Amino acid sequence: MAIYLDHNATTPLDPRVLDAMLPWLQGTHGNPSSVHRPGREARAALDRARMQVAALVSAQPAQVIFTGGGTEADNLALKGVCGSKPQGRVLVSAIEHAAVLGPAEDLARQGWQVQRLPVDADGLLDFNGLQKMLADDVRLVSVMLANNETGVIQDVKAVRECVRRYAVLVHTDAIQAAGKLPVDFVALGADLMSLSAHKLSGPRGVGALIVDRRVDLAPQITGGGQEHGLRGGTENLAGIIGFGKAAELARMELDRRSRHLRGLRDQFEARLKSMPGIRIFAAHAERLPNTVQIGVTGFDGEMAVMELDKRGIAVSSGSACHSGSGQPSHVLLAMGMDAVQARSAVRISFGMDNSAHDVEALLAALAAFTSKRTGALALA
Amino acid sequence: MPSSATEYSATAWTHFRRPCNAGEFPAGTAGVLSGEAGARQHGRAVAFQLQVTAGGRVADCRYRVYGCPATIALCSLTSEALKGRPLAAATAFSVVALAEQLGLPAAKRSAALTVEDAIRSAAGRYNSSG
Amino acid sequence: MSHKVIYLDYAATTPVDPRVAEKMAGCLTCEGMFANPASAHAPGRAARGAVEQARSQVAALVGAEPGEIIFTSGATESDNLAIKGAMHFYKGKGRHLVTSRIEHKAVLDTCKQLERDGFEVTWLKPDADGLIQPSMVEQALRPDTVLVSIMHVNNEIGTLNDIAAIGRITRERGVLFHVDAAQSAGKLPIDLKTLLVDLMSFSGHKVYGPKGIGALYVRREPRVQLDPLIHGGGHEHGLRSGTLATHQIVGMGAAFDLARQELAQEAPQLRALRERLWQALHVAIPRALLNGHPSQRVCGILNVAFPGIEGESLLFACEALAVSSGSACTSADRQPSFVLRALGRDDQLAGSSIRFSIGRFSTAAEVDAAASIVSEEYHRLLDLAPTG
Repeated sequence: MAIYLDHNATTPLDPRVLDAMLPWLQGTHGNPSSVHRPGREARAALDRARMQVAALVSAQPAQVIFTGGGTEADNLALKGVCGSKPQGRVLVSAIEHAAVLGPAEDLARQGWQVQRLPVDADGLLDFNGLQKMLADDVRLVSVMLANNETGVIQDVKAVRECVRRYAVLVHTDAIQAAGKLPVDFVALGADLMSLSAHKLSGPRGVGALIVDRRVDLAPQITGGGQEHGLRGGTENLAGIIGFGKAAELARMELDRRSRHLRGLRDQFEARLKSMPGIRIFAAHAERLPNTVQIGVTGFDGEMAVMELDKRGIAVSSGSACHSGSGQPSHVLLAMGMDAVQARSAVRISFGMDNSAHDVEALLAALAAFTSKRTGALALA
Repeated sequence: MPSSATEYSATAWTHFRRPCNAGEFPAGTAGVLSGEAGARQHGRAVAFQLQVTAGGRVADCRYRVYGCPATIALCSLTSEALKGRPLAAATAFSVVALAEQLGLPAAKRSAALTVEDAIRSAAGRYNSSG
Repeated sequence: MSHKVIYLDYAATTPVDPRVAEKMAGCLTCEGMFANPASAHAPGRAARGAVEQARSQVAALVGAEPGEIIFTSGATESDNLAIKGAMHFYKGKGRHLVTSRIEHKAVLDTCKQLERDGFEVTWLKPDADGLIQPSMVEQALRPDTVLVSIMHVNNEIGTLNDIAAIGRITRERGVLFHVDAAQSAGKLPIDLKTLLVDLMSFSGHKVYGPKGIGALYVRREPRVQLDPLIHGGGHEHGLRSGTLATHQIVGMGAAFDLARQELAQEAPQLRALRERLWQALHVAIPRALLNGHPSQRVCGILNVAFPGIEGESLLFACEALAVSSGSACTSADRQPSFVLRALGRDDQLAGSSIRFSIGRFSTAAEVDAAASIVSEEYHRLLDLAPTG
């Protein structure tokens, strides 16, 4: 079994979450839209999960719209907001996940003006840049709470402050942040926030858009009237119940989890200092407790991932959605890195199932293949 | 006993499942006043009978009802509540208030009004005949 | 806790088959294939293998190629993707589409949204048996028609449309044909090698798989193109972005595989139980009326109108039964069924109709008990009602 250090791509399911889901995968359960007893029991379980998810981010249960995942939540946020407003401009940070950049490009094809907000060398949003781009025709600003590659945390509350004088909505993709950091929907001042279950030890195939009910949203999947008419389709019952349980556990165990993850990361980063030719991206910014993105001199990121994979260690070269594409990281490019640096990225993301032993194994594997390479270069 | 639909209280549910005083008085029973309200094509029809004593009190009630569970439960509960009341009090009896006490959903207010109309229609015959 | 409910609402949702649940649980634990199928590392590759196996299993049930199956979050998303995707992609050809008034809400609401967005929709009315005849489709076609969307089996009354004949018409006229097969897949044979269907929607949870997963068949030869609904990441050939839910997909694959193996044996059993239920109801309540065509129908669905009583009371009085008064997705709003109204039933008959849907775990004893409960409650309510 490989040592899994790719928790930002997906997390293994918490056994307690599995236990909560299993009864809903077995036996007879109704469709939550049915009025008979099995249907009403399903509805009640759904409502409980809605409260659990809301509580994780200090939102109201009525503000939770369950979706088929984080990508769908991001799509619903961008296209849903723009679908209910006159055409104008949308501002997205240059380091957003493809789930935000994808619908943004689709809006651009429909005639919307989409502009990318710059970040500095540490991956932090350039607020002067944002200020300059603001005007009355801006409908939506989307800035992620924590970046999936570098782990850099953005000041979303300051984004809200910055746009205060305009009638613009703020969306934040909190998919990587939720469960790793305290997240407060109200305190952040966001109007819309995306979440995903499988990044916080819940199941895949379920996510949520947290949205203030005053926000007009055009549904993207229609039919059946579920989720206040904002998202049609029979609810993914077991998945949603798993999401609820995972959210509840994440909320209760947040301190313990973040201490554990931070411990592993600090151990790893401290030891890296003695290894030449390895740099940490966005080292000086405030980051997620579990994420380190490194560059290995002389190694393409994809190559480094393969070398580690051979040694039984699973990491990624950036976003899982882009692995194998050979494209330089758009996040690092936006931070001002050149294409070679941006192609060198290796992302390590720890999880609760990792131990100090795993960190040592990773360091040993890194040392093994980097020294082999250094040796080969010396011979040549 | 769980109620079959979350919006019905245990009392309402019991009267829906086992309604009291349903049916009609045998033909020729003395002092019976009959009234109707509603129509099947509108989803609700009630025929209510009051048996009134010489002293002008409601001795007993019967009814027939076509309608939703709330309409049936309200007929049953009202038929119990009216027994022993002077006819004037029966006429003034608020089925709407009863529905509110039972916690029936606001959408069922029209059911209560239909039952009230049937009772008033029956009571009205007393005045016109006597 | 109260006594057990007799579940006869398989058309709303089916329980997950225990054999399917077992396969899913294996994918959900750390020992199993939990990784992101898009990841390059070894666990990611293992997950990808499981997804591709499931894709083959889904394809095999309906005679498609694995590459023609796109996984979605459910049949509702599949319907949205097929209809909006095709109408937007082929906007240059025209803006007209043909559908029927008795489609599932996933199709109706999607077509209504397209209407608001400036597309033109022809809404076909079924005949008195609830069928959409191929000739109705043919007459509705125009030079600017892009798509015809007609369901295979109606979810409320179980009637079966002749999609082979409709497909011949649409193919000849160069119009795309989408079929919502959520209620038919696994219940009757579907062979997309011979059917001239271009897009077909499937659901996991109507075939003893999990809720929250579905698929869309997108024909390769001749190739059908779509505008995606969900962007970002480029999963599923760019047609449906978002991390693939391995356990859900594996569950749907296993469910479709079981359906393929058991269909020939299961369908006659369900048909026999349905007939048994109808006979018992008909004997106890001679006034009861069958909704929809008597023989051109799917094996598990029986929809019956009960004259003379009010529908909500009958449904609630039968609290020991889990049945539907309409499609589950519309039950909560208690509007008389638009499908039954389209058949010409008046509000009273539409309102007092019950859909019984029989499935893999139904027994003759359950069916008999259901008939006697309905009969008892029906007569009780009938006695309660005023004459006339």
